[in-house]
Amino acid sequence: MLGYIIRRLGSTVLVMGIVGVFVFLLLHLSPGDPAAIVAGDNATPEQIAQMRERLGLDDPLPVQFIRWSGGVLQGDLGISIFSNEPVAKLIGERLEPTISLSLTTIVFAVVIAVSFGVLAAWRAGTLIDRALMGFSVLGFSVPVFVVGYLLIYLFSINLRWLPVQGYAPIADGIGPWIQRLILPTIALGLAYVALIARITRTSMLEVLSEDYIRTARAKGVATRPMLLKHALKNAGVPIVTVIGIGVALLIGGVVITETVFNIPGVGRLVVDAIAKRDYPIIQGVILLFSGVYVLVNLLVDLSYSFLDPRIRY
Amino acid sequence: MRTTRRTFVHGSMATAAASTALTGLPWQRAMAQESGGTIKAVMQGDLRAFDPIWTTANITAYHGAMIYDTLFALDEDMKPQPQMVDTWTVSDDQLTYEFVLRDGLAFSDGTPVTSADVVASIRRWAVRDGAGQHMMLRVKDIVARDDKTFAIELNEPYGLVIDIMAKTSTPLLYIMREQEAMTDPMEQVTEYIGSGPFIFNREETRQGAQYVYDKNPNYVPRSEPASGMAGGKVVKVDRVIFENIDDSQTAMAALQAGEIDFMELPPIDLLSVLEADPNIVIDVLNNTGNYGLMRLNFLYPPFDNVKARQAMLYLIDQEEFMQATFGDPRYYRKCPSNFACGTPMENDANTEWFAAAPDPERAKQLFEEAGYDGRPVIVLHATNIDFMNNAAQIVAQRLRDIGVNAELATSDWGGVVTRRAVQDPPEDGGWNIFITWAGAASANNPIALAAHAANGTKGWFGWPTDEKHEELRDEWAAAQGLEAQQEIARQIQENAWNFVPHVWLGQWVSPVAYRSNLEGILKIPEIIPFWNIERKAS
Repeated sequence: MLGYIIRRLGSTVLVMGIVGVFVFLLLHLSPGDPAAIVAGDNATPEQIAQMRERLGLDDPLPVQFIRWSGGVLQGDLGISIFSNEPVAKLIGERLEPTISLSLTTIVFAVVIAVSFGVLAAWRAGTLIDRALMGFSVLGFSVPVFVVGYLLIYLFSINLRWLPVQGYAPIADGIGPWIQRLILPTIALGLAYVALIARITRTSMLEVLSEDYIRTARAKGVATRPMLLKHALKNAGVPIVTVIGIGVALLIGGVVITETVFNIPGVGRLVVDAIAKRDYPIIQGVILLFSGVYVLVNLLVDLSYSFLDPRIRY
Repeated sequence: MRTTRRTFVHGSMATAAASTALTGLPWQRAMAQESGGTIKAVMQGDLRAFDPIWTTANITAYHGAMIYDTLFALDEDMKPQPQMVDTWTVSDDQLTYEFVLRDGLAFSDGTPVTSADVVASIRRWAVRDGAGQHMMLRVKDIVARDDKTFAIELNEPYGLVIDIMAKTSTPLLYIMREQEAMTDPMEQVTEYIGSGPFIFNREETRQGAQYVYDKNPNYVPRSEPASGMAGGKVVKVDRVIFENIDDSQTAMAALQAGEIDFMELPPIDLLSVLEADPNIVIDVLNNTGNYGLMRLNFLYPPFDNVKARQAMLYLIDQEEFMQATFGDPRYYRKCPSNFACGTPMENDANTEWFAAAPDPERAKQLFEEAGYDGRPVIVLHATNIDFMNNAAQIVAQRLRDIGVNAELATSDWGGVVTRRAVQDPPEDGGWNIFITWAGAASANNPIALAAHAANGTKGWFGWPTDEKHEELRDEWAAAQGLEAQQEIARQIQENAWNFVPHVWLGQWVSPVAYRSNLEGILKIPEIIPFWNIERKAS
């Protein structure tokens, strides 16, 4: 197992290296020149050229890449072109809101979705099943920003129960922190609830038709332990896989949710940076996202052996 | 009465709602407590850079107006008034301007503002500002006579010295400490110490989220009443926070919920929602607004031919462009002047085409006379800014309607900004048309707006060339007095609508929205001052 983890971590570094090269080339070969944006609307071509030289953007691409990757290997993601602040600092400041939103969304989605999925499987074919699966279709179909606006309209403007927007650091207290995360979490989480609930239902239905479940029932095992202890654990592998995939999807959803609810997270940082062609920030954030994605997949793979002892690495 | 689960839940919710109505939820109470002396404002975008000389971004100019002061400033009638300057004189030969700084000027770190700070600030600003560069071509020297007196010595009379120092188009001439002002103009300063009415609170600023400005307790305002950027900058709140809310729907909701107090750019198509709210005021602070601009590339066919450029005057229906993006006629107007309407230089010289337009047949005929050969006409198309997105599509369609092979080159604004600087042929990555806009107050000034220059490939994108135009601009710059300037402006326009340096697409204003308990908001183009504003109890 330890050897497997070390090999996977090694491959993580390789993947991030490939992502780094790819992102660097993609950014520098696509249209957009930060020097022209910095120089301003009244700048002449001469002034833009001066700014390009000053920012080191007129160096050959390999030189720029070696400069950037050399810094990354030493833990230096570079300096933002516009804010003049270290990229690592900017990302660091934005991590807490994004991690908070991601964690609350995952917890919300897993708790609700697994409950829905188990309930739907247990009551397969009934009105409850159809209602829950209908809700799932709705959750898939309605875009995050629509859900977000509806929640704001209802709970913030009409009922005035929750704030419209913003983020309160956890250091300000759990109360303000959670209050500002409730609506974004629901808005972002609905799609994952739908996704995970459907997989849970399917997987549970499969397991519930297995002989050992029939045996357990015949032996008089009560419904709750039968569902949660015998069935759910054995249905867990596909569910965990979907949760892992969901984390990757979450990264895209976080960007939109952070915008709608004005949460100053990493998603908004990278969207702003793309509009301004702030290359160091874009490169840094994409490296971070790719690292997170690979690590989450590693954790998912490792969890398989916990859920199903037959799986060995 | 038997307590069931249902009655318990209903009772709990009713109790919660009642207690909420009486006391407010914790987040509401917290907001109410903190907002007594604080204005929370959502401005036009995120404040990404803090050096208002290094970047021309308007939001950074707003930031500059909070923490820095200016030597002169425009009042609400757009007339320059002294601000940091106490008195000044002009020599009889018009070659030496001497200025004395007023008493009590100090930076927020406690050090006094001296002439050395001013001289270094002017020199740095002039490298980055088009009008400043124009002035410096005529400047022999800028010298500090003593701690409070400095002089600008000219090689030739130049009538715009005071106007340029007072202008509100970016970059404004903000006065920094000498140590910051000595920074290479191509690099950002790293300390933000000004002598303005607010102090930048970097401790509580969270980049990308909120930018905090505290009242500068040591600022000594002028005694005159506030007017535009001029007069006494009396700060009547403890703190102003620029909240960065990207999504305008969310910002609107936050304004309605009282979470923010001021929104600079509420979406025009949703204004009716805000107008229906008695707690919200809709107001136009910049009465001249913005002027839509279509640039034509003089370097390549078809617009290297004056007939093709004249054709564009006849092709464009400004009403169509304004209606497509701004919808509500209260907020836009058609305008034939090369200097925008409602400005001192507005005039009607040589605008017969305007009465005739749109005249597609005439436009088609002019394209034929220009020898248009069916080659693609590349229209740069920024999709992420409504006006540019709509206008580019309309231009392309109207060109196609008269048989011109218009092709949209679609990207975001960042892509357009890059490609418009390319002087290669359109088929090799260049372009023929791009859309942007200018502040109407800037369009009023033939020197301050780079788009007014017609000095070829050293000039602004599109690179128009016209010797007579340049001579007239120089004459305008040397003219003494408004009437003389207006007369030359007529001549500039008479000539401009013959050689057609560009085409204007209509003029619009952008209303702001704010909570009705804010009072004293000043009106001035291109800057939104936060001094003089009081926050009354709501």
